[in-house]
Amino acid sequence: MSVAPSKTSRAGLMLLQFGLCVVILLPFFWMVSVSLKPASEPFAIPARLWPQNPTLENYVTAFRPEFRTYFVNSVVVSLSTVVITVTLALFAAYSFTRTQMRAISVLMLLVIVAQMFPASAIIIPIYKMMKAANLLNTYASLILAYVTVTLPVAIWMLRGFLARLPVALEEAAAIDGAGPFKIFFLIILPLCKPGIVATAVFVLIVTWQEFLFALSFTSTKDMRTLPVGMNDFIGQYGIRYGELMASSVLISVPVIAIFFLLQRQFVAGLTAGAVKG
Amino acid sequence: MLKRDRWLTWIFVTPAVLLVAVMMYYPMIGTVIESLYSTSFINPTPKFVGLAVYQKIFGSADFGQIVWNSCVWTLAVVALQNVFGFLSALLLNQKLPGQGLMRSLILLPWVLPGVVAAILWRFMYDPQLGLINSFLISAGFGDQGLAWLADSSTAMAAAVIAAVWKGFPFCTIVYLAALQNVEEEQMEAARIDGAGAIRRLWHIVLPSMKEVIVINFILTTILTFNYFDMIWVLTRGGPQNATHIFPTKIYELGFGQFRFGEAAGYGVVSIVILALLITLYFLAQGSGRKAAS
Amino acid sequence: MKKLLLAATMFAGLTPAAFAQETITLKFWDNQQTESGLSQYQQEAVKRFEAENPGIKIEVTTIPYPEFQQRLLTAVQGGNAPDVSTVDQIWQGAFAEAGAIADLDAQAKAAGISAEGFFKGAWDSANYNGKLYGIPFNVDVWQFSFLNKALFKEAGIDPASISTFEGLKAAAEKLTDPAKGKYGVGLFGHKGEDTVAVLDSFIFSNGGKVLDENGKCALTSPEAVGALEYLQTLVPFAPKGILNASSGDMRELFLNGSLAVEFWPALEQPTLQKSKIDWDFENGTAPAGKTPVGTYGGWNLVVYKSSPHQDAAWKFIQFLTREDVNGAVVDLVPANVKAAKTFLEANRKGADKIMTHLQNAQPRPLSARYLEVSDIQVTLAQDVYSGANAKEAAAKACAAIDGLN
Repeated sequence: MSVAPSKTSRAGLMLLQFGLCVVILLPFFWMVSVSLKPASEPFAIPARLWPQNPTLENYVTAFRPEFRTYFVNSVVVSLSTVVITVTLALFAAYSFTRTQMRAISVLMLLVIVAQMFPASAIIIPIYKMMKAANLLNTYASLILAYVTVTLPVAIWMLRGFLARLPVALEEAAAIDGAGPFKIFFLIILPLCKPGIVATAVFVLIVTWQEFLFALSFTSTKDMRTLPVGMNDFIGQYGIRYGELMASSVLISVPVIAIFFLLQRQFVAGLTAGAVKG
Repeated sequence: MLKRDRWLTWIFVTPAVLLVAVMMYYPMIGTVIESLYSTSFINPTPKFVGLAVYQKIFGSADFGQIVWNSCVWTLAVVALQNVFGFLSALLLNQKLPGQGLMRSLILLPWVLPGVVAAILWRFMYDPQLGLINSFLISAGFGDQGLAWLADSSTAMAAAVIAAVWKGFPFCTIVYLAALQNVEEEQMEAARIDGAGAIRRLWHIVLPSMKEVIVINFILTTILTFNYFDMIWVLTRGGPQNATHIFPTKIYELGFGQFRFGEAAGYGVVSIVILALLITLYFLAQGSGRKAAS
Repeated sequence: MKKLLLAATMFAGLTPAAFAQETITLKFWDNQQTESGLSQYQQEAVKRFEAENPGIKIEVTTIPYPEFQQRLLTAVQGGNAPDVSTVDQIWQGAFAEAGAIADLDAQAKAAGISAEGFFKGAWDSANYNGKLYGIPFNVDVWQFSFLNKALFKEAGIDPASISTFEGLKAAAEKLTDPAKGKYGVGLFGHKGEDTVAVLDSFIFSNGGKVLDENGKCALTSPEAVGALEYLQTLVPFAPKGILNASSGDMRELFLNGSLAVEFWPALEQPTLQKSKIDWDFENGTAPAGKTPVGTYGGWNLVVYKSSPHQDAAWKFIQFLTREDVNGAVVDLVPANVKAAKTFLEANRKGADKIMTHLQNAQPRPLSARYLEVSDIQVTLAQDVYSGANAKEAAAKACAAIDGLN
C-alpha cells in the first residue's frame, strides 16, 4: 500500500515530514555543532546552535591511534557476531518452523524467553565462566556473549520469515530427490535473503553499541570497543564534550553508511518477517 | 526439512539451544541461587539466608517506587514509541518528494550508540547550557527555563522523551514494512465505497497489522524494561529516586555498592515483573479478540 | 604438522625463561586522569623502575574513572585481579574487609615507611582496623573555592570574605542575577561522590562529623544540622538544577563567566590556567573565627592477595611513593609530604595555602560499608537542596546509616 495524496493534503504532509525531520535531526545537528567547537571556547548562554569559530581540532584529537584500535575491535567483534548469530539463528528458526515435535517448540520458547534476562543480573556469573575458560580480554569472549544475547531476537525475526515460505516447495524438491541439505542451501537460503539482511542489520546495530559486556570482559586498552572507548573523554569530574561529540560522530558514520546501503533490503526483510511474527 | 528428518531438526537446533542454555540459563540459575545467600563483596563466604533478601527488598522504602517507576517508564516509552512510530510510518508511506532520504534519516537516532545518545540528551537538557531551555527562553517561556532532570516532577518525563527519540525509528521501520503488505485491492475497494482515510485506517490497515503491532509491543517492552544506558547517564536514577528503575538499581547495588545478594534478588524480581507485564499484553490481546468475534 | 606446531610454540614459550633469569610481569592498574598528559610521565617512571629492577616488567593499564570501580570489582570477583592497583580511598575499607588486598604492616615497618612521611588524612585512609593495607599515593581536598576575580571586582566584593559562612552567603547574594545568567555559587547535588565530599566539608568546617568514635551516625548533631541549614540558605544563589548537577557542570559555567564561585579540588588549577578566566581561590569556608576543614580525597596503592609476586609488587609501590618519584606520577598532589611541597611549588598557584588546607582536611568515614553510607548522604544532600527540613532529613539519614547491617 502506497498512496499518492491529493494536492491540498500534500502541502500539509510535507509540513509534517519537515517537522519529523527537525525532531530527528536537531539533536544530531547540535552534536556536530559541539564537535566543531574549539576546546578553548566556553559554552555560551543561551546555547548557540553553531559555534563562533568552528574547527576540526576535536576530530584530529578524536582520531587518535586508540580510536583506530577500538574501531578495528568493534568491526571484528560486530561482524563476527553478525555472521555467527545469523547462521545459528537461521538453522534454529528453520527447524522450528518445519517441525511438529513438542520438545523442539518448548526449547524454542525457552530460547525466546531468555531475551528477558537483565544483563546486569547475569554478568558476574558469565564473567566467572569466561575467566574459567581463559577467554577474558579476547574477541572470543565478546563474540560469544553477543551471539548469545542477539540469538533469541534473531531467531524470532527469522522464524516469522521462514514460516511464510511454502512447505510445498520443499516437498516438491524432495520428490525430485534433493536431500535436506541441498534443499536448505539451494532453495530456502536464496529465498530468505531479505530476512537475512534485515536480521543482520538488526544484530549489527545492537552489537555495535553494546556497552556493559564490552566494559566487563575487556581490560587492556587494545581490546576495547568503540562505545567503551568513549569513556576516555569522561574524567572523574568532567566531560570533554568537544572530543566526545567528535568521536560520537565518527562512531555513528559507519553504521549509518551501512544502513544507507542496505535500507531497501532491510525494510523488505522486515516486511516479510514481521507479517507472520 | 520435512517431517521425516527428525535427526536433522535436532542438529539444526542444538547449537543455538546449547549456547542459550550455557550462557543465559546457567548464569540466571546462578543468580537465583545467589539471591538465597547473603553475599556481598565484604562477606565473600556465602551464607544461606533463604528468602531474607526478598524480605529485605519488599520491605525497603525504595521498592514500591522502583516498581512504579519501571512500569511508568516502560509503558510510557513503549506506548509513545509505537504511536509515534506508527504515525511516522503512515507519513513515510505517502508518495512525497524526498521520501527515500527521509526513510534513511529516520534511523539515525536508533543507530547512535546508546551511551552517546544519553550524553547528548543530558547536555540538551542542561538547565543553563542546553539547547532545549535556550529555545524555550527565546520563544518566550519564562526567563530561566526548567531544570528538567533535576526536578522529580519532570525527570521521568524528560528521560521518557529521550528514550522515545532514540527508539521510535525502529518502530517506524517495522510499521513501514508492514504497511507494504496491506492489500491494495481491499483499500481500493474501500475507497470506491467512499470510506474516508480514518475509516480505512481503522477497518483495514489496523486489523491487517494487528499481529505486527502485538509483536512489536512485546519486543519494545522487553528492550525498554531492561534499558540501562539512558537513565544511568541522564540521572543515575535520581533525583531522589524519581527515575530509578530495575536495571539502574541492580547495577547500583551490584557494581556501585558491592551488594551482590540483593542485586541478584532485584534481578529475579525484575524478571517476574517483566513477565507479568507481557502476560498482561497477551490477556489484553485475548480479550480484544473475544470482543471482536 | 600439528605436532610440529605444538613443539614450536612450546619452544618459543620456554626460551626467554631459559636464557634470561626469571622475568616477572606485574600488572598495574591505575585511574586514567583524562585532563593531563600524565600517562607520558608514568611511562617514563615505569621505564626507570624497570631499569633499577631488572627482572621485573610492569604492564600498566590505565582505566577511565567511570569504569574503574566496576572493572576492579569484576576482576576481584572473577579471580582476575591485577598485582598492584590504585584504589580510591573510599573503596579501600571494603577491599580490606573482603580479604582482597594484602596487609602491608610488616613490609612498611621493615622499610621504614611510616605515618610521618605522609599527610595524616591520607595515612589514616590507608589503615583499616589498625592495620596498614595500602600506601598513600596521591591526595587532594574538597573543596577550594575558586572565584572569578572580574565578577568580584565588578560587584565590589573582597574575595577573602568568602572564607566565612556569612561572607560567602553575602557575596553569593550580591553576585546572583538569574535574569542576566549570573550565579553566585556553584552547588551541585547529583548522585556522585563530589556531592558528598562538599557536603562533608561544610559539616567538618562547622565542627560536625559523619560518624562518631563508635561508628554511629553523627549527622543529627547541632553542628552537622547547622551546616546543612547553612547550605540550604545558599540554594537561591546557585544555578538551577542542583539535584542533577555535578562539579563538571559547574566548571562549564565557571569557565564561561556565569558563575562567580565554584567548588573544586586543587586539581582544577591546570584547567583554569588554560582558560581566559582571571581566577583566584580560597581554602573552603567556615563560620567566622574557625578554620575551614576540607574533605580528603585521593588514591592509595594496594597489593592484591591473589598476586603471586608480592615482593616485586611491594618494590614497585615503594618506588612510586618515593620522594623523587611521587611528584612525577600523580596529577592530584603527591601523598608524600616532601614530594608534595616540591610538586605544589612547581605546578600550583598558592602552594602554601594549599598545603595548609591539605593538613587540616579530614578523611571520609573509613568503613567497609562506606559506599552505602555515601549513597545515604547523597539522598540527604538532595533532600536538603530541595528544601526539606534539615533536622528531619538528617534524622532520616541517621536511621538509614545506623540501620545498615
